[in-house]
Amino acid sequence: MRNTWVILKREYLERVRTRIFLVLTLLAPAIMTALMVLPAKLATMGEKPEHIVIVASTKEFGATVRQQLLAEPLVSEENEDDAAKRKPETSYTIDIDTTASESGRTVLRGKITTREIDGFLWLTDDAIAAHTVAWDGREKAGSREKAWIRDAVNRVVQQQELGKKGLTAEQSAELLKPVEIETFRIENGRQIRSSGSGRFMEIIVMVMLIYVAVLLYGISVMRSVLEEKTSRIMEVLLSSASSTELMTGKLLGVGAVGLTQIVAWTVMAGVIALPSLATQPNFSELQLSPLVMISFVLYFLLGYLLYSTMYATVGAITTTEQEGQQLQFIIVIPLVLSVFMLAPVLRTPDSAAVVWMSMIPFFAPIVMYARIVVQTPPLWQIGLSLALMVGTIAGLVVLCARIYRIGVLIYGKRPNLPEIMKWLKYAKA
Amino acid sequence: MSSVQAPVAPAFNGSARSVVGDAVQLSGVRKCYDEFVAVSDLTLTIYPGGIYGLLGPNGAGKTSTIRMLMGITVPDAGQITVFGQPLSRAHMDQFGYLPEERGLYKKMKVLDHLVFLGQLKGLSNTEATKRANTWSERFELSSWVERKVEELSKGMQQKVQFIAAILHDPRLIIMDEPFTGLDPANAVVLKDVLLEMAKSGKTILLSTHRMDQVERLCQSICLINHGRAVLEGDLNQIKAGCGRHNVQIKYDGDARFLQEKRLVQSFNDYGNYVEVRLAPGADSQELLRLAYATARVDRFEVMEPSLEEIFIDVVGKSNA
Repeated sequence: MRNTWVILKREYLERVRTRIFLVLTLLAPAIMTALMVLPAKLATMGEKPEHIVIVASTKEFGATVRQQLLAEPLVSEENEDDAAKRKPETSYTIDIDTTASESGRTVLRGKITTREIDGFLWLTDDAIAAHTVAWDGREKAGSREKAWIRDAVNRVVQQQELGKKGLTAEQSAELLKPVEIETFRIENGRQIRSSGSGRFMEIIVMVMLIYVAVLLYGISVMRSVLEEKTSRIMEVLLSSASSTELMTGKLLGVGAVGLTQIVAWTVMAGVIALPSLATQPNFSELQLSPLVMISFVLYFLLGYLLYSTMYATVGAITTTEQEGQQLQFIIVIPLVLSVFMLAPVLRTPDSAAVVWMSMIPFFAPIVMYARIVVQTPPLWQIGLSLALMVGTIAGLVVLCARIYRIGVLIYGKRPNLPEIMKWLKYAKA
Repeated sequence: MSSVQAPVAPAFNGSARSVVGDAVQLSGVRKCYDEFVAVSDLTLTIYPGGIYGLLGPNGAGKTSTIRMLMGITVPDAGQITVFGQPLSRAHMDQFGYLPEERGLYKKMKVLDHLVFLGQLKGLSNTEATKRANTWSERFELSSWVERKVEELSKGMQQKVQFIAAILHDPRLIIMDEPFTGLDPANAVVLKDVLLEMAKSGKTILLSTHRMDQVERLCQSICLINHGRAVLEGDLNQIKAGCGRHNVQIKYDGDARFLQEKRLVQSFNDYGNYVEVRLAPGADSQELLRLAYATARVDRFEVMEPSLEEIFIDVVGKSNA
């Protein structure tokens, strides 16, 4: 116990005092902020208004359609709020053309090719009567663009028809008022307004943090195990403490560094980043419930410890850093796999495959956390996945400690699997 | 474990040792790695208040023995008792260990490092700091305690490691080749410290190839070869038992007398002098007369065999 604590303290202080810790603590929030803000900025930056031509039989009809198009915001599924900000007035220039002839159509197509216009809408009376209007554009119209145009044209046509039936403009407007759908998510009986994008951000933050922490500190654990082996200080250490005490102390120390980092980031986010982030539309959706926050900390720490333990084991098996680096890609594979699994997790968070995947300790930090964020799985599943992670970490620590202890006797080449098994046999006592 | 019977020391030790009891006893200790037998049936007894030399050629099993004693590996068979009790982890705090291969955390400051290792042995932060400073002064490291280990020379690092081994005032001190890499001045400081500790009743186990050090420092030795003790006991008695068959001759001139097979069994030329092993039954005076006849003899001394000679002799026999 005493030894574990002494080692924990050393590992912690030696890491926290390094420059890389300071840099990471300061820089990571900046990078995260940039990651959240930049894509939105990039999407709106340097965007020219699109030039559209409406080809109609009469100027009046064309003007009505244009008015309707500009009045209705373009609805995007992935990014509702963002779209709301993109007012059609600023993104579109709409001209009206009444020379509805085949030759005119050819001219317009030529203009699309020469990039004078971005597309045109064929809205002649004949087309309306046939209930089929054509859109010619440089890019194939997306589903939301199509819906936008269809809704606007429908509305104008319906209004016109209703007008013909003798309804006033107000009456028809009342009649045609669309029904809006608001989406909510229920978590522990509480209603949480949510959109997919906010949820996704939380998961991405988790993935990023674990990935960064694992890569930086996991490798530093591997290095420190290797250093102790190559510098042979392990022989002195092992004459004072058991290898399990050593490994436990080392990993808890490294875990404490991770915890410090999180606390530092949280404080910094609260003080510096939050005011600027709050203006970001996605961030206002980031309503963190206590369950999500607690599981964030738990899964981050355990995931980070689990992967660090794997790095320590690689350090115990290998004899040089080059060898370690060759092996470490194996460690990152489950991490990468969990990211690939995010799509099915978000779509069907309670399918059997996803549930079982989230129980596997190596995937749990990302997959189970993603499930918690999107849907709140049963508590026993969360408990079980946490227990499995703790068990795996403990088992790996013991295994790693044994390999480490026997490593004192070994020099030179990396042991193969049968040799490692043999080591474990020696180290039993 | 309240009443432990201290085994009586072998009769030839005769001194007060039998009253004190033994510090370390190995009986029938065996350690194998796969097919390779590193230590087989090793039995030895180390008494407190002295320096015990563990000798043996490369690969004889010295380090394997020490590692079992330090609890780093566990013997396959046999018993190790320490201070009258079976060896356990609880003893670790009373052990000080200087491994043959030195190792320190390169990026740590010297003082931090010493305090860290001291705390691992159960010292408090303040006590460890105090002692680290005192010892650093004695070894003239005071101006280096705030530097990082990697900034120190090899010799200084070795001093740091030596301090780490004795910081917690251990009862049993195990030193594997402690003098290698030290300049003569520092070697003297280290030797003095070791002798002081031996006098104050500590038990010191010195593992080395350097016969001259063992000859000067150790009271008892154990010579191991192929994992077995081939010679164990009080150094003086071992030497006396080997008889006075050796002559050291410092001469100038014709060395023909060395070829006299009737008198000279073997000789070893050290440059400044030659050490001659007399043939069985040969008279040393006859050799002197012969040497005198052809060369100028500056020194002619009949003496006990050197430990080195015993070593080569015994190892050669046990290999045969």
